[in-house]
Amino acid sequence: MSSAQFFAQAWGGGPVLPAACAGATLVYWLRFRRRARWPYFLAAVGVVLLALASPIAALAAGALFSAHMVQHLFLLLAAPALLLLSLPGETTLPRSAGVLSHPLLTWSLGVAPMWIWHVPALCDAATVRPSIKAVQVVSMLAMGALFWWPILAPRARDRLQPLLGVVYLFAACLGCTALGMILTLTPVEVCTVFRNPVAPAATASLVRDTWGVSAETDRQIGGLLMWVPMCLVYVAAILVELRRWFGDHELEPARIAPEVRR
Amino acid sequence: MNASTSASTAVPPGILTVGEHAHWRLAWLSTVDHKRIGVLYLLIALGFFVVGGLEALFIRLQLAVPNNTLVGPDTFNALFTMHGTTMIFLVAMPALFGLANYFVPLMIGARDMAFPRLNALSVWLLLFGGLLLHFTVFTGPPQAGWFAYAPLSETAYNSSQGVDYWIMALLVLGIGSVATGVNLIATVLSMRAPGMTMKRLPLFVWINFVNSFIVIFALPVLNAGLVMLLMDRQLGTHFFVAREGGSPVLWQHIFWAFGHPEVYILALPAFGIISEVVPVFSRKPIFGYEFVAASSVAIALLSFGVWAHHMFTVGMGRAADTFFAIASMLIAIPTGVKVLNWSATMVKGRLRLSVPMLYAIAFVIQFTLGGLSGVTHAEAALDWQTKNSYYLVAHFHYVAVGGVVFAILAGIHYWFPKISGRMLSERIGRWGFWFMVLGFNGTFAIQHILGFMGMPRRIYTYPDFANWGWMNFVSTVGACLMGVSALLLVLNIVRSLLRGQPAGDNPWEAWTLEWATSSPPPVHNFEALPPIHSRRPLWDLANPQRPDPVVGGDAIASPDRLRISMWSLIGSEAAFFGTLILVFAYFNISPPAGPNAKSSLDLTKTALFSVCLFASSFTLWRAEVAEYRRSQSGMLGWLVLTLALGGVFIVGQGMEYWGLLHGGVGVNVNLFASSFYLLTGFHGFHVICGLIALLLVLGVAARGDFRQGKPSPLKSIGLYWHFVDIVWVFVLATVYVLPRVL
Repeated sequence: MSSAQFFAQAWGGGPVLPAACAGATLVYWLRFRRRARWPYFLAAVGVVLLALASPIAALAAGALFSAHMVQHLFLLLAAPALLLLSLPGETTLPRSAGVLSHPLLTWSLGVAPMWIWHVPALCDAATVRPSIKAVQVVSMLAMGALFWWPILAPRARDRLQPLLGVVYLFAACLGCTALGMILTLTPVEVCTVFRNPVAPAATASLVRDTWGVSAETDRQIGGLLMWVPMCLVYVAAILVELRRWFGDHELEPARIAPEVRR
Repeated sequence: MNASTSASTAVPPGILTVGEHAHWRLAWLSTVDHKRIGVLYLLIALGFFVVGGLEALFIRLQLAVPNNTLVGPDTFNALFTMHGTTMIFLVAMPALFGLANYFVPLMIGARDMAFPRLNALSVWLLLFGGLLLHFTVFTGPPQAGWFAYAPLSETAYNSSQGVDYWIMALLVLGIGSVATGVNLIATVLSMRAPGMTMKRLPLFVWINFVNSFIVIFALPVLNAGLVMLLMDRQLGTHFFVAREGGSPVLWQHIFWAFGHPEVYILALPAFGIISEVVPVFSRKPIFGYEFVAASSVAIALLSFGVWAHHMFTVGMGRAADTFFAIASMLIAIPTGVKVLNWSATMVKGRLRLSVPMLYAIAFVIQFTLGGLSGVTHAEAALDWQTKNSYYLVAHFHYVAVGGVVFAILAGIHYWFPKISGRMLSERIGRWGFWFMVLGFNGTFAIQHILGFMGMPRRIYTYPDFANWGWMNFVSTVGACLMGVSALLLVLNIVRSLLRGQPAGDNPWEAWTLEWATSSPPPVHNFEALPPIHSRRPLWDLANPQRPDPVVGGDAIASPDRLRISMWSLIGSEAAFFGTLILVFAYFNISPPAGPNAKSSLDLTKTALFSVCLFASSFTLWRAEVAEYRRSQSGMLGWLVLTLALGGVFIVGQGMEYWGLLHGGVGVNVNLFASSFYLLTGFHGFHVICGLIALLLVLGVAARGDFRQGKPSPLKSIGLYWHFVDIVWVFVLATVYVLPRVL
């Protein structure tokens, strides 16, 4: 199989995923109607589809560890952030979920998936068994959304004070850097299935022979993806926080009063 | 040299009070005033600048002509090692800390730093560290370069005690720097005058605040590495010896994980100085305050993620090279933003080309050049060719001298009138400036070409290749011109102290608070502060009809400095333990031959005394509650229980060590043993420190209410104790549990 053939064919991820996306879109439309912020929502759906129904998904299914890491970045960082941004101005969490939005808890839940889903047994299982994979996807989306809540909540008063937000994001960056460094610099193997690929032989040979990506390089790229780009996302978010902080003029109430905004 | 020269050169009218002149030695030795400590920093930096500068001159004289025999290879190695270490740790950092010490409290309208005694400790640690390093003159100096790459820095290749003293000196300096960082953070957060909100901080203060976070996170990483190197040299471990399973590349990772942020520890405060000088001498507010402030944060964050670009030639693999090349180039963006800010501030300003401004303009140009050659180093493939050539030497001197030193000189010329109460001579200053510009560019511009022609760094001499001779000679002449400039600076300072023009409160018509008091300021800094509603309070005072726009609200939050300092210290310690835990993981993921975690450690026993440690967190919390409720006996009781539980933990760990040592698992048996003792040993050491602190509290508390209305120290010691317990959770997981389940 050539690269071109692979990238042309490796699309589609079964019937469940399109149904789920369509359902989510419907719910979103019914809930928000004219207040919907479609660009963000469609981008979120697009990212999920890109992670789960594109060649990235085909590679992540047991052929390329680094593709699996891209998938994680999309599901844990990008899609939940876009989803929160798609919520219109006044949305808030239901009262019952209030406990969940404590920053210490959301921080832990946001950093934990990267560590937990790279426990070797779980990592292998999620790669090989669709049911566990589904649990992984849902958990990452949910925990990612909770992680971003204190930063990207639609209402300003649900968010952390911006300078504390900087600390929150910086600490998250350290959390993924530590694991990224371990994956990059040590011979640890968190997903053994990628050493002897369980993907279809054609895909496996494409990766190893045509592209010449060895198992070691693959593992290193995976670690680096978690280390460098993931932190860059947090750094970008930190800059957004600083922009908010400097842009927030408490002395001019007219500017933030709702009637003026409209 | 410092105590004596500091006093003899620095007794202008005003710095000491009249009464103190009679016992000026004691006045300088015992001072806890941030201004005098700042002056001490600057004088120590000046003293070591002379030493490091002479070393540089000897290096250049040796290289002036081909096949020179002025100094031998060993002396040459010692010279560049000492020159690099001295200039970074004993000149640039102290000079910047000195300016921060003197001016951060003044600029925020504070009476002093948050912890004056800690401040004094930092400056004397600096002097002590500097003397430790220079004691190697008697023991045989270190010869492994300022980054002490293993295995060159191991006993096999550096058998004299030079490297050991180098390690001890850097540890002492590192501890002092962390203390300064913690102190600056607490000062900025807790000591601001009414109205001086975080959004109104002068950029010099904001940038030093951001910089302090780099200091407290980066230095502990170096300290961890230094301890490992010391263990290799003194206890026979093999952390960095490849033959025994250690990893020389790990030393490089640890060193540069500190070393790259260190570049910004020097560069950021320099940016801060320039961000004060350029607006004042352009007669305009800084262009884009928010961009300068936010880009500093971006630089600080990125600085931690890109150290591996110092290691492209180690062979990390193409994947790693690519990632770090891209990430490194990103740093050019926030840095470039700043260059645009300074340039745009000057555009359409009424420029006053006084000496501070001359240095600032030269800084902007030269730092940009150094930054551009820096971007070429981020390109891995090019770096393979130019690494360790004189092209690299030229690059980092353009950043460190053309950038940082020029900024320090700008700052010294700018603030000297405030420090001494007297103006420096413009005429001598200008001569000094032009000698410096000519000398600096003469020395280093040509080294770019020498590097491209293939001249490697750190060679003590070279054959008579075409053009190498005259180019090196030009470089040496340039270095001598810089020496002349340094002499002119000293001359200018001495002349000014003896018969300089009185400066008055605000000779430059600047706008920040340090100019709102007399020069030099009184011991208590301010008689009265002007109202603060914007970023330029003195502009508002002078121009009541058209004040600056008000920035944000006036309300300030001044958190308790004890808590702030403890949280900062905890952050710093977390970086230290994080490094040690990663080191343990690094060496034990594939267990080394011989004893390992699974075969040698007894999880059950450890779990038992761990429970005691965790329980002690609970009892200490109860003691805090009892204290809050003013129950003296309750507090004493819970404290004693806490001490007992902590003691059980230490005894348990001691018994474990005893058993291991008698079972033949000594520290140098293999890398498991070395990394195990390293990690658990340092944790135990922290527990012991906590126990001592608690004993002190107990002793004081037993004599009555020790608070006397002040915030309780028990709370911050409690924070520290809980932190040490949480570290044990991670240690327990990494060392005892994970090796069994994975």
